[in-house]
Amino acid sequence: MNQDKEKADQKVGGDGLTKKQRRALKVSAKTAGTSPNEILNNIHITNTKDIKKDVVFKSNENVKCPTQNKPQVVTVEKHFKSEPSEDKPSIDRTKNVDIKGELSKAEVRAQRRAIQEAQRLAKQQKTQEKIDKADEKKPQIVSKDKEKPKVEKKPKLKVAQKIIKPKETKVQLFSHLSVATKEKGSVVVEEVHPAFVRLGAQYASKTILGSNARCLALLSALKSLIESFESPPEQEFCRSLEVALQNCVNYLQIYRPIAVSMTNVLRYFKLVLAELKTNLQDIEKKNSLIKWIDDYMHDEIGKAGEAISMKVEGKISNGDTILTYGCSSLVLRILLEAHNKNKKQFRVIVVDANPLFEGKEMLRRLVNAGIECTYVLINAISFVMNKATKVLLGVHALLANGYVMSRIGTAQIALIAKTYSKPVLVCCETYKFCERVQTDSIVFNEIGDPNELIRPSEKKQADNVNAKLTHLNLMYDVTPPDLVTAVATELAILPCTSVPVILRIDLEKSKK
Amino acid sequence: MKKEDIKQYFLTILQKEKDVSAGIAAIRTLMEILRKYSYKTIQGLDENLKMGVEAMQETNCPVAAINSGCELFRRFITFTKLDTETFDECKEIMLNRGHLFIKNLNEAKGKIAKRASQFIVDGSKVLTHSRSRVVLQTLKEAAKQNKQFEVFVTKSAPDNSGEKMCKDLKAANIPHTLILDSAVGYIMEQVDFVIVGAEAVVESGGVINKIGTYTMALCAKEMNRPFYVLTESFKFSRLFPLNQADLPDTYKYTPDMRKQDISKLNPLVDYTPPALITLLFTDLGILTPSAVSDELIKLYL
Repeated sequence: MNQDKEKADQKVGGDGLTKKQRRALKVSAKTAGTSPNEILNNIHITNTKDIKKDVVFKSNENVKCPTQNKPQVVTVEKHFKSEPSEDKPSIDRTKNVDIKGELSKAEVRAQRRAIQEAQRLAKQQKTQEKIDKADEKKPQIVSKDKEKPKVEKKPKLKVAQKIIKPKETKVQLFSHLSVATKEKGSVVVEEVHPAFVRLGAQYASKTILGSNARCLALLSALKSLIESFESPPEQEFCRSLEVALQNCVNYLQIYRPIAVSMTNVLRYFKLVLAELKTNLQDIEKKNSLIKWIDDYMHDEIGKAGEAISMKVEGKISNGDTILTYGCSSLVLRILLEAHNKNKKQFRVIVVDANPLFEGKEMLRRLVNAGIECTYVLINAISFVMNKATKVLLGVHALLANGYVMSRIGTAQIALIAKTYSKPVLVCCETYKFCERVQTDSIVFNEIGDPNELIRPSEKKQADNVNAKLTHLNLMYDVTPPDLVTAVATELAILPCTSVPVILRIDLEKSKK
Repeated sequence: MKKEDIKQYFLTILQKEKDVSAGIAAIRTLMEILRKYSYKTIQGLDENLKMGVEAMQETNCPVAAINSGCELFRRFITFTKLDTETFDECKEIMLNRGHLFIKNLNEAKGKIAKRASQFIVDGSKVLTHSRSRVVLQTLKEAAKQNKQFEVFVTKSAPDNSGEKMCKDLKAANIPHTLILDSAVGYIMEQVDFVIVGAEAVVESGGVINKIGTYTMALCAKEMNRPFYVLTESFKFSRLFPLNQADLPDTYKYTPDMRKQDISKLNPLVDYTPPALITLLFTDLGILTPSAVSDELIKLYL
């Protein structure tokens, strides 16, 4: 009988956990539902060894995040080998899961009850606080448990992010879009690779910015995930990897919505994963996947950029004044190569805008290369446009109806360029082409941190009027194809309207 | 064949057969090179064909048609799988494909004329620019269908090719009026639509044609008149001019002109952007400008 029970405990479920492990996880998730201090208290109360061992609180220093309100990450990791090079000491806990204290069902039940009791108490206290300071923002976490007692009506509940926002500061029209704020509460994360944890923080703090950079960072994080991944016993490698990857991607999405380029890469990767021969050893599978990623980075991003640079360089003639907006890695590359390799004589006007001021980086690099530059803000666009001869723009994604999705403000630039009849050349690798159709920036967009729009010096003043004022910080806009003269891709310089043709060719290729 | 021979052969075709356009003459010249080629390697043949194209570009004929026609021809004949035993067999296949290509080209004009003539109805007033063989054939086709219509032809400086067009129309018994190039704006309110030919159709769906076409297209747009372009598909070329200045000099000036200071010279062609074109009538069908790039992608990718 006792042996049977032990066996049952050893049984591994679909997610590679024993029953007991799952239970422990559930408890830990629930405890994480309250603020870290309370969790500590709770654990103290229940006084079980398991939970302390399973739940590791990542202190803020572990995650590189320059923002003040750092997201508190509570990770529960199981399947990853520790990476010696990583700067995360928390990885030692991999073994923890295996060491299991023996717990009877009754004990667990009692433990659960204790936790629930503690939560209820905490919540009551909180509601009291809420009444006192109604305005105070305090992100709070919803426990995963569905049986959670309903104390009272809460503000809008977001299940996807497991975060409650006490106060919604959203423009009604854009209420369907998620807001990426820096003030994240603690997030419960299961099975997220440290590389992705760091990536999430980098996305959130915008140290990694731009479609290409984000995609490359994702691919290298994916590589380290594959390298350290070990499939749980009696599970197929590709299947379990896909699950692990999905967890990681879900985690990233908390910090910033996935870019179109990243979606495309992930889709291709899953296709490759599905088509991988099953009779290979895990290590062979790993190698072929890593090789695929390397090839993708090299061909679709590196080589494509080179080809585009060559094509666009032919369109830059001596004496040109080229206007560009923000900072596109591809446009930067084109301009630098035209200047350094091909010795073209041209000037650049860098147009920049609030709140990201990406143009400063562009300006710095161009000036370092010795290119004559002018720097203006977008307010002065009509003043400088008549001095420009060509407009070169970067892209977030090219949509199937030929619309160009790009950093907010690009549509204005294109519109003014059209008014002054200056040719607008958009540079885009074909991996950023997307099947979606969109004619406005409302249906699908990303909302940045509204606080970015307020100057630090005016912060106090703004807070006073904030009750009636909502800030909207949209990240992207779409430019209609009739404002764009041509799209430079690695295949050819094409009109915007040819996007569906390229997509169709890609589809036919992938079918073969 | 040597360069001089190639040039000579090309120019005699153009002189003897008035009805043949420069593009077709160029392709026939390439066929001749292929036929006379005596060495035994494909690579050598390709070099020879390239040299032939260069030779023809040096003559004073419009480069646009030569370029696109030759590029397409070279692509078409080498598109088959050339894994036969001997080089002679290979050559045979290429020659056959070449003949097929030229046959298709000769039929193209008829197809276009048939399609476009439906758009000319009784009582129409048509404006055309310079002299285009396809436009002429289309007008003749419409006249053959007993349609009553009138044609306005611009004189088209600097070579006054409009006068020649008028002569041809007179021979076909079609009512016509010769107008000045500067009268395009004046006449636009009277005409129903504009038909022009093209020297080349570029990737954007715009066309490169005799200087003055762009002006005509702008006027037509302003007056909301349809602007039709008649062109064979071998004139589709992989070029994407962003504006007039971006057109290659080889297209705008003849080799003789390029020896002088070109900044003081008048260009021979201009670029009409796709936004000003209503429809393109080709042997592939009646296309919108945006469909041109689709066809080009199909041909080259």
